[in-house]
Amino acid sequence: MTLLETLVPFPVVLPLAVAAVVLAAGERLPRHVPEALGIAAALAVAALSAVLAHGALGSTPVYWFGGWVPRPGVTLGIAFAPDPASAGIAAFTGLLFAAALVFAWGFFDEVRSVFNVLMLLFLAAMQGFCLTRDMFNLFVWFEVMSVVAYALTGFSLRTASLAGALNFTVINSLGSTLMLAGIGLVYARTGALDFEAVRTAVDRMGDDPVVIAGFCLVSAALLTKGAILPFQFWLADAHAVAPSPVSVIFSGIMVPIGLFGYAKIRLQIFPGSPDAMDILYRLVLGIGCATAVFGGLLAWSQRHLKRLLAFSTISHVGIMLTGVAAVAPVGLAGFLAYVVGHGLVKGTLFMLVGILLAEKASVDELDLRGLGRDIWPAGVATAVAALLLGGAPVGILHGGAHLIDAAAPPGPAGWVVRLAALLGTVLTGGAVLRFAGRIYLGLGADPGDEAHAPTDQEREKAGRPLWLMLAPCVVLLAIDLLTPAGVVEGLAARVVPQFGVVGPAVDLPQPAAWGLLMPWLALGGVLLVATLALSGDRLPRQLPRVQASVLTPFFAGLNRLHTGVVNDYVVWFAVGIALFAGWAAL
Amino acid sequence: MSPRLRLALLILAGLAILPGAAHVIGALPPFGHPVAVYGQSVNALLPELRHVSNMVTAINFDVRGFDTVGEEFMLLAAVAGTVLLLRGGRGEDRVDVGGRIGGRPVSPRSDAVVLLCRICGPFTFIFGVYVALHATVTPGGGFQGGVVIASALLLIYIGEGYGRWRQLVRVPVLDAVEGAGALLFVAAGLLPVAMGLAFLTNVLPLGTLGDMMSGGLMLVENAGVTLAVAGGFATVLIEFMEETRATDSETGPEDGE
Repeated sequence: MTLLETLVPFPVVLPLAVAAVVLAAGERLPRHVPEALGIAAALAVAALSAVLAHGALGSTPVYWFGGWVPRPGVTLGIAFAPDPASAGIAAFTGLLFAAALVFAWGFFDEVRSVFNVLMLLFLAAMQGFCLTRDMFNLFVWFEVMSVVAYALTGFSLRTASLAGALNFTVINSLGSTLMLAGIGLVYARTGALDFEAVRTAVDRMGDDPVVIAGFCLVSAALLTKGAILPFQFWLADAHAVAPSPVSVIFSGIMVPIGLFGYAKIRLQIFPGSPDAMDILYRLVLGIGCATAVFGGLLAWSQRHLKRLLAFSTISHVGIMLTGVAAVAPVGLAGFLAYVVGHGLVKGTLFMLVGILLAEKASVDELDLRGLGRDIWPAGVATAVAALLLGGAPVGILHGGAHLIDAAAPPGPAGWVVRLAALLGTVLTGGAVLRFAGRIYLGLGADPGDEAHAPTDQEREKAGRPLWLMLAPCVVLLAIDLLTPAGVVEGLAARVVPQFGVVGPAVDLPQPAAWGLLMPWLALGGVLLVATLALSGDRLPRQLPRVQASVLTPFFAGLNRLHTGVVNDYVVWFAVGIALFAGWAAL
Repeated sequence: MSPRLRLALLILAGLAILPGAAHVIGALPPFGHPVAVYGQSVNALLPELRHVSNMVTAINFDVRGFDTVGEEFMLLAAVAGTVLLLRGGRGEDRVDVGGRIGGRPVSPRSDAVVLLCRICGPFTFIFGVYVALHATVTPGGGFQGGVVIASALLLIYIGEGYGRWRQLVRVPVLDAVEGAGALLFVAAGLLPVAMGLAFLTNVLPLGTLGDMMSGGLMLVENAGVTLAVAGGFATVLIEFMEETRATDSETGPEDGE
């Protein structure tokens, strides 16, 4: 066994072992030691996964736990297959955890050891989810991720946070149940759980109804984790109430990783099933477009900053899903880059909102108007993040967006996809720029009595040093901003063939007029909508009337769908399943 | 959404799912169909390869041992999450001895209950250890044995009262047992890694088929699971019992302890 192969289980085993030590030692550990151990473990995991990703370029090692290599005709054991894409996403996860834990320094003094144990388990679960090559093992790490996330959401124990955590738990547990059922169906038909063994069987069977049903159920589960319409209702409730460092992880990686799992099963299990691929290329692509627009509109209409960012995440996972569901493999390359770029920017934004919660004790845009002037460095960072989210043509996120754009199908369908991505980008970037202008520059009309937020009093642990909270924001933004988009695109295109087990080389898009125009169009749109929203009284007289008669009722209607009542969410979930079932039956 | 609209939408969704579901159910392997090739291979191979007669244990701790690592830590996460939510809700004043709410009568236990618990408690404990130890031979194992052990601890509460129970069963000890158990499982996996083999490779002597000491490394992993499950369940029981003290803050300081 080579040294590289020996390292394969450690991204999972290391944080598990550290978590067990922290739990066993408990309160006996000196103050801040659990936090320091957590940060060190996250950085070590990032380094380990990065080494694996680099070492796997060219040929992917396969690591059989317990030495259970496949026997002729039957694969019994569990394997990890850290191809460069999977290990790369795993490495990025470690980095984001390190940043979130630095940001959380001193946040959880009261329950420090328990919080750190949970975060370490969360990290280990995501590593396992990325690296595994076994359907049931994938489910195990998916569940560990969920169990930890439920507890972390309810952490602050206010009525709202418990309600949010409960909605999250019910909807995601439904998803988990369906995933288990789906895996059961696939196993019943193929007699295997290992990705490669299942793929071989699926290739042989083609369009077996049981296999397709399994695909639909697993799709529903992963799209629930990935917060895709109509499975997304839990997300805003959970993100709005989770502590900021936890929201960083939720939006930055936990939600996109659901789609990452989806990309993986699409490439490594079901490519030989024409029916499954038809569902993907048409239904799922359409759902992705709808999600991008829906999330963008809802993000724009929020004044609660965490809900705003939560809906912007929904919009961006919609854009990511169009990359996963594209026929052209360049879409997958774009998806991988987009996950990293989006995670860097969105993670930063949640930390910046966390700074407002700690320093100003509010997350209400109108309430905070002009109050951010004394913490202007956070304002600068927010503006930069807004422009990056809004499609500025630099950095990793832009590289991903460019590749996803190039993967749009030919003909009118392609323009629908492009338009959806453009709308999502403009609305989310514009919404963030709008609140940055209002809070840090005091722009926009004086809200008067409306400033008193309808939300309950919120505050996160104050008295943490501002520079320590800002440092991870600056680092993450710098990574996104300073990595040249061309390099990212090249790297993403290089790792996709191995991600898809054996695939043809991915062609990078030729510079086309639209590809060059798109980011500027998006950026212009972002500036335009933010200016319109903030110019207040100086607008032409017709605009407020349109606002009152058309836009306000429209946005109110969209928001009324998010009742916070879990019964409604379950019904929407059932509608989503019906969508898949109906499509597959036709 | 009004309840009526909700119901209508749900029924519509159900109707849309129905034809597809019927089609899939019709295509499933028939009831009583021979077990999948996976199960047949395990039954055929493992008694010879691993010298164990309980195939469930062989799958849990050997063939798919890495899944069990994940499940082990899933339990740990669930316990830690429960502790986080419940303890946080009560405030952080962790009292290690059981308190008593003023004004609530403490009815003395009958001698029969005390006697019964003193007899059953130790036997239940021993039974838990027995179930855990015979994991590789008969149905049972660390998960089941750990739960039985934790419920034996609960008999102390019924027999001796809340105060004595909290004196005998300490939360930090339970945390240590739980963490140590999980760590033991990970350490068992790392032993073969140190020898240059894959994680969780069964490197210990396998023993004789049907003997309690068969299965090699599985015995160590099983011991780790026993400790972690017993510690975890006992922790959850204590946290649930502590919840009944939430009335403390509601009754006001003059009625409190």
